[in-house]
Amino acid sequence: MDEYSIGVLTNIGLFSFLALSAYLLLMAGEMSFGQQAFFGIGAYAGGMLTAIFGLSLPVAALAAMLSGALAAFLVGLPTLRLRGLYFAMATLAAAEMTRILFELLHFQRTLNGDLVGPDGTQGFRGIRWVFENGVEPLEYLAMIYALLLVALVLFLLVERSRLGATLRSVGADPELAASLGVDVNRVKLGVAATAGALAALGGVLYAHHNTYIEPRNFDIMLGVHSLAYALIGGLGTAFGPLLGVVLDIGALEGSQVFGGARMIVFGGLVAVLLIVRPRGLLDEKTVHWIRTRWR
Amino acid sequence: MDVLADLVQNTLDGLTAGAAYALLAVGFTLIFGVLRRVNLSYGAAIMFGVYFATWTSQHFQIGLIALALLSIAGAVAGGAYVERLCFSPHYRARDNSRADASSGSIAAMVASFALWMQFEEAAILAMPRHLYSFPPLYEGAPLQLGSFLLRVESIYLLLAAIVVCASLHAVLYRTRFGLAVRAVIDVPVAAQLAGINVSSVFVRIFALASAIGGLAGFLIAASSEQVTPMLGMWSTVKGMLAMMLGGLGSLPGAVVGGLVLGLVEVHSQWFFGPQMRDLIAYLLVFALLVARPAWMTRWTNIRSAS
Repeated sequence: MDEYSIGVLTNIGLFSFLALSAYLLLMAGEMSFGQQAFFGIGAYAGGMLTAIFGLSLPVAALAAMLSGALAAFLVGLPTLRLRGLYFAMATLAAAEMTRILFELLHFQRTLNGDLVGPDGTQGFRGIRWVFENGVEPLEYLAMIYALLLVALVLFLLVERSRLGATLRSVGADPELAASLGVDVNRVKLGVAATAGALAALGGVLYAHHNTYIEPRNFDIMLGVHSLAYALIGGLGTAFGPLLGVVLDIGALEGSQVFGGARMIVFGGLVAVLLIVRPRGLLDEKTVHWIRTRWR
Repeated sequence: MDVLADLVQNTLDGLTAGAAYALLAVGFTLIFGVLRRVNLSYGAAIMFGVYFATWTSQHFQIGLIALALLSIAGAVAGGAYVERLCFSPHYRARDNSRADASSGSIAAMVASFALWMQFEEAAILAMPRHLYSFPPLYEGAPLQLGSFLLRVESIYLLLAAIVVCASLHAVLYRTRFGLAVRAVIDVPVAAQLAGINVSSVFVRIFALASAIGGLAGFLIAASSEQVTPMLGMWSTVKGMLAMMLGGLGSLPGAVVGGLVLGLVEVHSQWFFGPQMRDLIAYLLVFALLVARPAWMTRWTNIRSAS
């Protein structure tokens, strides 16, 4: 495989984590504008742990996921009580605050004669664990997709379980779910924390793929994109968000057919698609139809 | 005394920025308050209008009034495109009783985001330079108020904000159209049953909001004498922030929110720098959304009682 296709495939894998994170919250009926913050927290935390403190990537990834989950839990505590668009706005404000905190974060150390670490708006250079440990791009790609596969299998298992039914019931009608004995707030907090960890995992892998990150990477655009991925692909199954990512990054950016007018084509397609299918390509009905056909 | 002088000068500057934010927020709030939908393309349509005017001014000799009209016409055309493609297909799915995050509202919002991307790329393709100059609103020295300076553009912006709010108030509370709008806000189903054409009300509200946005965009471009493609994102974010500060969906709230945002930004930039300026603005919004103080909830709608 040539370098370019590996790059495109890697990006599809990386942003799939973020799309899945947005999708998980949508399943529980919450639209978050702020998942990019946890992606960013994962990237910064993981990058600092390997580049400055010399930890190995797996350990750093675990720590990054924990910090993403913790941050998402802390943001969720006051905001999950809010309804619909109020929640979306509050998560947006929280994510922008996080981005500005990255801009204010200066923590540089000299290692082997190089200054390493976050330098505010100048970004964070030299996250080179993957390179220094001789991981080939193709191997790294395989690592990303193995982790994505694990996440996807977990999603599919949960969707078929009682927990999945609980999640969907909270999303469909929180009052009804509460009257059936579901602790709606606890479920939502759990979902938010898990989604935070998932986004953070994507972030730490992103940081080590790019070796350079800056606060601008984690702005509103990224957050709305992740929501769009989940919605274009469909809200019926975890394959939906992946399909959304593949359509945007793979089919349009990868093929380069439309050149500079890519976003004009993609934007129009998305708007028209949502008229026909307001809950995405793989929506609940379609998924149900496919499942009944398979049996 | 120096600190006090700075405070006064900053307050004057803050009111200027605030007047621009207030205008943007009034348009944004009009759409949100009536449709209960977030139009992420709001700023992009404004940028489209201003770019249209800029392009024309580079090819033809036109005056300021014509430029303003072109900006407004462009923004309304852009807004109409957004409304047709993103909002009108999803009116049926509108479920006002609960869950603002109903699938219709998410779909409409994501679709409006997709069109924002379209506008931005179209603008860059049509006018590829990063920055274009825009004819100035006023060519002269700022006014001297004692030792303080007040830009004449600020007066225009403040005046425009006042005039727009007063006329909007008159439209909403003195005309049959305004009555229909308020009925639709209160109980959409009942309004429909009473013979009000709800989607036509939405269309006209959209056009009105886009026109206000176009005027705001023109004034902002003409007082900063430049346009960049960033105007789209900037307008959406500032309009949204001011709307959130004002309690989402209230017109007086949007004006107050805009002015507060302008004042807070200018003062915090002066004392703590540009990053802290944004941090403080978002922190304020976050705290208000989470705490939802009683005075804010009292404002949250365009009231039916006048």
